[in-house]
Amino acid sequence: MTAASGRAFDGAAPSRSLSNYGVVGFRVELLRLIVAMAILGLIVAFYLGDTFTLNILATTFLFAGLATAWNIIGGLGGQFSLGHSVFFAIGAYVTAGFYMRLGVSPWFALAPAAVLAAIVSALVSFPVFRLRGPFFAIATMALTEVVLSLALYFESVTGGARGISVPFRRGFANMIFTDRLSYALLMMGFLAITLLVLAYIARSRLGYELRAIRDNDRTAEAAGINVVRTKLIGMAISAALMAIGGGLYMMYVRVADPPTLLSLFDIGVKVALITLIGGIGTIYGPLLGALLVVPLESMLRATLGGVFPGSNLVVLGIILILTALYLRKGIAGAAEGIYTRIRKGRRT
Amino acid sequence: MNMNVANSSTTPLIELDRVSKRFGGLQAVADVSFSMRSGEIVSLIGPNGAGKTTLFNLITGQLQPSEGVLSFEGREIGNLKPHQRARIGFGRTFQISQTLTSMSVLENAMIGAFLQEKELAAAAARAQHALTLVGLDHAAKRRSGELTLGERRRLEVARALSMNPKIVLLDEVMAGLNETEVEEIISLVRKLNAEGVTFLVIEHNLKVVRAFSQRVLVLNRGQLLAEGTADDVLANPDVIEAYLGRSGQ
Repeated sequence: MTAASGRAFDGAAPSRSLSNYGVVGFRVELLRLIVAMAILGLIVAFYLGDTFTLNILATTFLFAGLATAWNIIGGLGGQFSLGHSVFFAIGAYVTAGFYMRLGVSPWFALAPAAVLAAIVSALVSFPVFRLRGPFFAIATMALTEVVLSLALYFESVTGGARGISVPFRRGFANMIFTDRLSYALLMMGFLAITLLVLAYIARSRLGYELRAIRDNDRTAEAAGINVVRTKLIGMAISAALMAIGGGLYMMYVRVADPPTLLSLFDIGVKVALITLIGGIGTIYGPLLGALLVVPLESMLRATLGGVFPGSNLVVLGIILILTALYLRKGIAGAAEGIYTRIRKGRRT
Repeated sequence: MNMNVANSSTTPLIELDRVSKRFGGLQAVADVSFSMRSGEIVSLIGPNGAGKTTLFNLITGQLQPSEGVLSFEGREIGNLKPHQRARIGFGRTFQISQTLTSMSVLENAMIGAFLQEKELAAAAARAQHALTLVGLDHAAKRRSGELTLGERRRLEVARALSMNPKIVLLDEVMAGLNETEVEEIISLVRKLNAEGVTFLVIEHNLKVVRAFSQRVLVLNRGQLLAEGTADDVLANPDVIEAYLGRSGQ
C-alpha cells in the first residue's frame, strides 16, 4: 500500500505513551500546573491578614500572568516583542470604557477587550513580522510610542493626559473590593488561566510549530508550517491574554493614564525581562521570574524609595546582569539542569 | 491509490519547462527543462556554482522562478509558497543541516510528522518510525545539538521522511560522512525508493551517483549540460570539460 501511494510511509499507530518518547504531554503538564497553583495558594493562605504582602502578591501574580502571556509569542515563538504594553492598554481602556460609559460589568468587558487586542495585534504584526531579531524588537518599541501619542491625542476615549479614574463602588459585579485578598485571588486566577493556555500550547502542535519557527524558520516552512499564520496566531493569543491582564489592572488600581499603561519600561520591557530572568520559552519561567523580581522591587520601593529613588531599577539591572552571566536559561533552565544532573547521578 | 500509479506513467511527477532564475545580473539558472516520473532516483551533479541548490530552491519554493513553468502532477505550482509545496508532497534537506537545536532528536522529526498528524502521540510515533528508518532511533531522546554531522544529516532526512512526502530532495546529504554512513544512506534511499518514493539528489560523490541514480542531470553555469545514465553522462566529453577544464590547449 505504501508503494501504491508513492509516499515514504503511512502512519504507524501510536503504540506507546508519550513519556516513552521523552515527550511531555498536556496531561502531565496539567498535574504540574495544579501543584504549582497549590503552592501559590499556600503562600496566599500564609499571608491572609497581611494587607501589605497581599498587595505585593497581587502585583506579582498579575505580572507573572502578563509575562506568561508574553512568553507565548516572545518565548515559544521567539518574536521578541517590546510592544506588549499596547495590548495591555487596550484591555485597560476597553474595560474602563465599557464600565464607565455603558455600565457593563468588567467581568463581561474582558471578552471584547481580549478580542480587540487580538485583532489589533494581528493587524500590526502582519507587516512587522517581516522584520527579524532586533529589528522586530525595535519596531514593536516604536509601535508603543505611536500608540502612546494616539492615546494622548484621543482624549474622548482615554481621558488624555488626565487619564481615567474609576470611582470606588465596591461589589463583585464591579470587580472592586475593599480587601486585598480578593485582588490577590483575582490575579492568581488570571495567572492560572495564562499558565493553562501556555501549557496547552507548549504541549500541542502549535507550540512545536512556534518553537520550530523560533529555532529555524526555513526548516519550519520546508516542513509545511505556514510561518506567518502560526506567528499571527501566537501573537493574537498572547495579546488577548495581555488585554485581560490590562482590564484587571484597570479595576485594581482604578486610575490609569496613557504614560502608565503604555510605559515601555514598566510594562513592555518588564514582561520581557521577567521572562528572561525566569527562563524564556519555559512554562514556569515567567512565574519564577515574577516571584523573584516583583516582590524585591516592591520591597525596595517601599523601604528605600524615599532615600534612594530608583534603587529598585538598580537592583533589577543587577539581577539581569547576574542572570545573563550565570543563568543563561534563566531560573527555570538552571532548575532543570540541576534536576537532570541529579537524575543522571542516580542512574549511574 | 492505484490511480496514482496509473497516472504516474502518463503525467510526470514534476516537470520544469524552461525555468530560469536571475539574481540581478547573474543568471543562476537558465532555461532548464526536465521532468521526473514517480518512483525515479535522479541525481543532479555539476561543478560548484553551477546552480544546483538554486534549482532545488526553485523546485521547493524557497525561490520564485524569474521565468518558466513548474508543475507537480500536472498542476502548475510556480506561485505556491514553500509550506504549500511541503503539504502537496515535497520533502527536502538543506545543504547546511538545519537542526532545531532546542529540541530533542525525536522532536525534530516530529516537526515533519505534524504535517500528517495533529496529536502529539501520533506525531511521536511517526517520527520514531522515521528515526528507525535512518538508524537514529537509539538517539531519539538526545538533544539534537549533541549529534555529529553525519547524525544531523540523517536527522534532516528523517524529518523530511516523517512528512510522508511523494518526492524527497536531498542536498548533499553525503558531504562529510564516512564510508559506513554513506553506505547506510545509499541503502536507505534504495529501500524507500522500492516502496515508491521519488528522489532528486544533489551529490558530489560520483560513486554514490553511480550507486543509485537511474538518471543523471548535469548542470553547468545554470544550464542543463547533459542528461542520461550515470555511465553515459560521466563519459560525456562536455561533462568532463565542465569539471576538469578543457584538455590539450
